[in-house]
Amino acid sequence: MTGGDQDILLDCEAVSCTLATSRGPLALLKDVTFRLGRRTALGIVGESGAGKSMLIKGIMGLTPSDITVAGRIGLDGEDMVAMPEARKRALLGRKVGMVFQNPMTSLNPFVRVGRQIDEASRLHLRLGKAEARARAIALLSQVGIPDPQECYAEYPHRFSGGMKQRIMIATALACEPELLIADEATTALDVTVQKDILDLLQALQGQRRMSMILVTHNLAVVASRTDELLVLYGGRVVEYGPTERVFAAPRHRYTEALLSAVPRMDEPAHTRLRTIPGRPPDPQDRPAGCPFAARCPAAEERCRQEMPGMTLDADGRHGFACFVPVPAPGPGATAARAEATS
Amino acid sequence: MTARSQDIKAQDLEAASALPAPATARLRWPRLKGFEWFAFGFVALLIAAAVLVDVIPGLARPNFPYGDFSQPPEWSLNGLLGTDPLGRSILSRVLHGARTTLGIVAVATAIALAIGMTAGMLAGFYRGPVERAVDLYANTMASLPPILVILALIAVVGNSVLTMMLALGILDIGVYARIAKGGVIAQNDRDYVLAARAMGASDARILAREILPNLVPALTAIVPPLVAGLIITEGSLSFLGYGIPPPAPSWGGMIASSTDLLSRFPLLVVGPILAIVLTVYSLNTIGDSLARRLNDRNRNL
Amino acid sequence: MASDHPYLKAAARRLAAGVPVFLVVTFAATALSSLAPGSAAQLILGENATPEQIASLNAQYGYNLPVIERYLLWLGKLVRGDLGLTLYSQQPVAGLLFDRAAVTFEIAFLAMGLSLLVGVPLAMVTASRPGGAIDKALLAVTSVMLSIPTFVTVVVLGFLFAIVLRWLPATGWVRFAEDPLGNLKSAALPVLCLSVHQAASFYRVSRAEFVSVLQEDYVLVARAKGLPTHTIMLRHAFRAAMPQVLTVMGLSMTYLLGGSFIVESYFAVPGIGWTVLSAVNSHDFPVMQAILSLTVVIFVVVFMLVDLGYALIDPRVEVA
Repeated sequence: MTGGDQDILLDCEAVSCTLATSRGPLALLKDVTFRLGRRTALGIVGESGAGKSMLIKGIMGLTPSDITVAGRIGLDGEDMVAMPEARKRALLGRKVGMVFQNPMTSLNPFVRVGRQIDEASRLHLRLGKAEARARAIALLSQVGIPDPQECYAEYPHRFSGGMKQRIMIATALACEPELLIADEATTALDVTVQKDILDLLQALQGQRRMSMILVTHNLAVVASRTDELLVLYGGRVVEYGPTERVFAAPRHRYTEALLSAVPRMDEPAHTRLRTIPGRPPDPQDRPAGCPFAARCPAAEERCRQEMPGMTLDADGRHGFACFVPVPAPGPGATAARAEATS
Repeated sequence: MTARSQDIKAQDLEAASALPAPATARLRWPRLKGFEWFAFGFVALLIAAAVLVDVIPGLARPNFPYGDFSQPPEWSLNGLLGTDPLGRSILSRVLHGARTTLGIVAVATAIALAIGMTAGMLAGFYRGPVERAVDLYANTMASLPPILVILALIAVVGNSVLTMMLALGILDIGVYARIAKGGVIAQNDRDYVLAARAMGASDARILAREILPNLVPALTAIVPPLVAGLIITEGSLSFLGYGIPPPAPSWGGMIASSTDLLSRFPLLVVGPILAIVLTVYSLNTIGDSLARRLNDRNRNL
Repeated sequence: MASDHPYLKAAARRLAAGVPVFLVVTFAATALSSLAPGSAAQLILGENATPEQIASLNAQYGYNLPVIERYLLWLGKLVRGDLGLTLYSQQPVAGLLFDRAAVTFEIAFLAMGLSLLVGVPLAMVTASRPGGAIDKALLAVTSVMLSIPTFVTVVVLGFLFAIVLRWLPATGWVRFAEDPLGNLKSAALPVLCLSVHQAASFYRVSRAEFVSVLQEDYVLVARAKGLPTHTIMLRHAFRAAMPQVLTVMGLSMTYLLGGSFIVESYFAVPGIGWTVLSAVNSHDFPVMQAILSLTVVIFVVVFMLVDLGYALIDPRVEVA
């Protein structure tokens, strides 16, 4: 896997986001490095405040003006951080489509649904009115809107949250993007609707052969729907790797704790839910060492002093930043765990 | 002629007064920005000048010639803003005008505050017909340009200092009443009001002791811009020739009487224009500053 | 369903609240003449009036009747579109008012249009970069503009454009039917003077509104689609900010009517303001009463239109 690899779509290298405050710079995200291959689904997991949304905003170049993004965010070989505003606008919506957390506020109530879907394709692909309309209606029916033609001409207030999120997905797909980012796209929806939307996203990713990033605080969401997993904690990447491997054999203590907090089907009913004691560190005073040290059962003195570097697996696909990792299990154990979580 | 943007401010304040703080909370003494310092300073200076104008040593009398007519400003006390077409000191006339204007507006505001606050509190406390009457009055005044109301009165009873005070007074009663009403309604079922009631306190006592103190901040913040509006209205009427009768100096009247000579002596109008614009600006700035602090405080609760 | 909607209900409520206001104002206007020291007829005719003159005036205008009776008579005539005759020229008040109102409305609408054209686009520019240098400068400039009374504006702009630059006529009015270009020229100074305050006020309100609309999620979505700033402003923010601008347009009607008194008297424009001033001088009660009534009607109608405007702008309202 080299930098110019044709199979790499998104290549983030040492990405940091710093907020300028009256008391000096505040690092919200530090040294985030990962790669996303084409046609691959990546899950980004972390508690609120871990820096998930900041990372996405940084990738999209949508950070507020008081936040500085440093590092390299390569999209198809072009660096999004260094590129001029106009070039970035030409990529957003075209190569990258995004679905946001709250469908109720993501659609402009004053603009017709159709307009909101085809404005990107008319801008980026220079489609004519009729072409864009035909494409938008096809998209609406693909995302499961019952009356796509009617929906196209309607204003958004007519639709429920789930329907609105489907419309938002159609909007994000208007230019056939190579990457679809879903930022907590189901968090605001009813539990019954959440699964439908996730299944839809997964299906679309397969059909359209695009890459996808699912951002979530909920491990269950990414379990069977992503190929790779990136775990963020306190503004840092603490573990990444193929989803199955991370699930089966987490190496970072935080990932392990997170996994054991997910209710599992193979445990007897009424088993007490495990939780992680303590709270994530305040970005105002993050410790010098590992951000998880204060809550970590295995923390040693040096965990508090210095930030552990990435340790890589034998094949280099699974990495974790921990001085006292969870011991790697034997082959038998891996299979058992993978079965239990799927 | 009152700046109509005040209506919007008034709405904000109605909303703000709906979130009363405990009676102990006061507007904290703020850190002021440069232009706010200027505004408070200018108003303080103007009030001082208006009060002390008769005893300022060496200041010429406003209605007697002091030097040559229509002189440009020069570096002396009486000539600082020049002289008018009758040779009178413009500075002296501006300061005496300030006394007249501020005096009239102060009385008018006192009338409006006293009646408006009382009516508004009763309307908010007892609701029913009192509230409907207060709303009707406020709606009526809001639908007429202030100048038209006063002109209609002047057409019948003629213009005098007393007419002007009363006429300006009735303009703002509705605004004050609405703010007081909103504040009372928001407090009616607050714990401290219910507690006072449970202890058998009389309505009058509840209104005066429990509710009134919480209305003060919102009312304080709306006074400066409304006073500015009254100053503009009074100035407009004087400008049109329906203000307090001459020879009493007034800013609007001074501007009006200089307009014929404007092409030859444009500097004549500088003094009174500066006086009224700076006064209105300062009062609006003070009002904004108070309203912002009030909102900040409510947000922090 | 349409009548259930909040905006339409608000419009209906506005009308319902307007009726008592109208009655109060018109009744007060009728009662006003009773406040006159001595009698109304005496006030109108002056010290030297003969008893015969007073009797004939009372016979024609009913100033000796009880207020209630006089008010009901006036209301009865109003229903038939009769506002009475002016005191001196004995013209029908309604016709006179119609002519004068046309002039005032022309000036008011031009001023509103000009202020919107200046204030709203500027707000769109600065709202996308709040706190920037232009933004700060404009906030300072507009807070001064809002502090300048109209009677100062007319003197300063009149001096500048009519005396120093000699671009525009200082006084007078040319009717549109006689000379359209001359009409615009004679309207220019009055319109400019009324626009100083209005443009600043439209700027302030729309800037604040745009700043808050730009915080909306759907604006972030629009940015994520790669839309350029001007498209986001025009397509996504503009309509959302309209209701607030509309409210200020409604409020500005009272300001513009009040401003017309100053502007029309200073530039000798025969509109409503000018008419009121001459009616005050001559104690022409029928004219004053008609103008007070007209003002209230304008106010109620304008705010009803504002409420209906909200309903038109907001797609969530379905106007059947």
